[in-house]
Amino acid sequence: MPEFDPRGRPGAAPRRRRASALRPRLLPPLSLVVLGFTVAALLGAGAYFLPLLQITASTAVSSGNVPNPVVNPADTKPFTVLLLGSDDDSKFAADRVLTQSMILLRVDPGTKSATLLSIPRDLWVSIPGQRGKAKIDTAYEQGGARGAIAAVESNFQVHVDDYVWIGLQGLIHLIDRMGGVNVTVTNPVMDDFYPADVNTSNPYGYYRVAALPGATHMDGVQALQYVRSRHGDLRGDFARSERQQQVLLALKTQAKSLTVADLPQVASAFNGEIKTSIGVDRVRALLAIVSEFGGANIKQVLLLPPYTSAATVGGQDVILPDWNQILPLVHQSFP
Amino acid sequence: MSRWLATGVLLVLMAGFGFSVYQLLASQKRVDTGVVAPTRTSTVTIPGTLYLAQGGSLYAFQRGRFGRLTAAGGWMQPALSPDGTQLVAVKRGFNYSDLYLLDTAGHVQQQLTHNSATRVESNHWAFFPRFSADGQSIFYSYDPKDPSNTYRVDLAIFALSPGGNGRQWTHPNLYTGGDVTPVPLKGGALVFAKSSIDPKGAVHTQVWIQARAGSAGLGLTAPEDDCGQPALAADGSALAMVCRHGGPTADIEVAALDAANFQLGQPAVVVPAGLNAAPAFSPDGRTLAYFAPQGPGGSFQLWTVALPVAGQPASPAVPPTPRQITHDLAFDTSAGPAWV
Repeated sequence: MPEFDPRGRPGAAPRRRRASALRPRLLPPLSLVVLGFTVAALLGAGAYFLPLLQITASTAVSSGNVPNPVVNPADTKPFTVLLLGSDDDSKFAADRVLTQSMILLRVDPGTKSATLLSIPRDLWVSIPGQRGKAKIDTAYEQGGARGAIAAVESNFQVHVDDYVWIGLQGLIHLIDRMGGVNVTVTNPVMDDFYPADVNTSNPYGYYRVAALPGATHMDGVQALQYVRSRHGDLRGDFARSERQQQVLLALKTQAKSLTVADLPQVASAFNGEIKTSIGVDRVRALLAIVSEFGGANIKQVLLLPPYTSAATVGGQDVILPDWNQILPLVHQSFP
Repeated sequence: MSRWLATGVLLVLMAGFGFSVYQLLASQKRVDTGVVAPTRTSTVTIPGTLYLAQGGSLYAFQRGRFGRLTAAGGWMQPALSPDGTQLVAVKRGFNYSDLYLLDTAGHVQQQLTHNSATRVESNHWAFFPRFSADGQSIFYSYDPKDPSNTYRVDLAIFALSPGGNGRQWTHPNLYTGGDVTPVPLKGGALVFAKSSIDPKGAVHTQVWIQARAGSAGLGLTAPEDDCGQPALAADGSALAMVCRHGGPTADIEVAALDAANFQLGQPAVVVPAGLNAAPAFSPDGRTLAYFAPQGPGGSFQLWTVALPVAGQPASPAVPPTPRQITHDLAFDTSAGPAWV
């Protein structure tokens, strides 16, 4: 027998109608729920990629007037990047620093080949906008990235497409965020006067470094010591130029294991310690092909004698270039 | 009221979903900077006991488990005495390092060197300790100061006798970083790795042998082979070494050693090119332990490779298959494990 209904209708029907009528009142419409979850997912992803978004913004600012061509990720045109490294500790005014490391990098995505050319920091050259000659490491101090690029372009007669500048902390953080680097130390790297200029109250202090030979894993601080030490090596600045190239190639290996999910962690290392004119698109394109570069397709060039010779000019220890030998060598790889 | 409650539950669910998306992305990261303590892991069993270092602590690896011997404190490069009752190891400080004698449980018995100094450049390093074959002295790399140039820091190999001072055995090539990884032989000669820089500026390492302290010695390997990190089989019949051949990676090679005539046989590759480091023979000479990354850019793990005939690979043309023993650890690779 149907349940009694005061409104004179069978009891079952009103219960069904009541249940379906309650649902829209209790819960928001389905479309709103879906939208809510979508927004939540976007906020979660946004929070995760926030460091990357921040560095994208700061990269755009720091690129200034330096050429920054829009790059199609599928672009296979070769390009040249000037890699700059500076001791930017508290001994120096912000952005009035010398470039202790200058490496010209030519990447040819089409042939999957690359060339690294280390430029001695003490190379005695004409600096655009300055009278006479000076060490090439002063070009950045006087004119920033544009000054360094102009000095390299005018002396080496090459075209530079982009630059990357990195400070001491930037290199440490970058390497740490990438999980360290694996390198083979060929001989003991010993230095009793290594500058104690990172995280210190006395940037003029020094301490001892001993990097022992063999394959090893280095964190950011160890890798920085490895690429900066020079006092105990017969080849002085050339030895550390070689080690800088070695760590760059080790970073390339490390980058093979990076995914998009790793980029925020890597980008958080930047924090003003890395400046570049390279767009995120080109970085992404490079990451996509980095595993295809390697071995014999990477050429490493050091301007050892007879391309250069040591001399003293005006009381300064400098490296004199023999352009008749250097330029043909450079133009084999750099247009 | 019910509607507000339902909306609140939905909002909490949405927040949880957003957080889950964040966590999901984070879980896709491949970069792992963490180092797992060996004592929290267990792995396959290999015969005997290996002493090795990670994160400034010494560990004993036995029956698939690690036991920590010392607290973290710069400990590295353990080596066993010939009778297997003592360890000599390095304790590295900020500007110096010292050698210590320990028992095999990790208790310090004696500090052998005192290398710390107030002036930075007056400190000394001591690395790569090894007992002599008779256990009466300890060979190690040490940086004697050059009175004519404070910038020069080249490691030379010294021998420390009980109650005595270190005696200099080798004279390194200037400004090369010097001589490392001493391996004392039963007859009293010394094998070690010697660095040189050629006129073109290329660095080379050779496995070198010296009959006595101060003698000139000779290279057992050619400069262009870039061989270093020598390790001696327990019976003295074979040497394992890491050879770069001018490249960024290195093979592990094994060769017969004729210690009486200072000659090395034709080396055979037992581990092909890679970031291979610090080989050590098993006590029976049938296996090599060494360190290599667990993947591109990964931390260094313990690996082994079988040598079917003691000290010799089965076939020079076909290297045996290496076996990864540990995962997610990060060993100090500057010296091979001590295996007893």
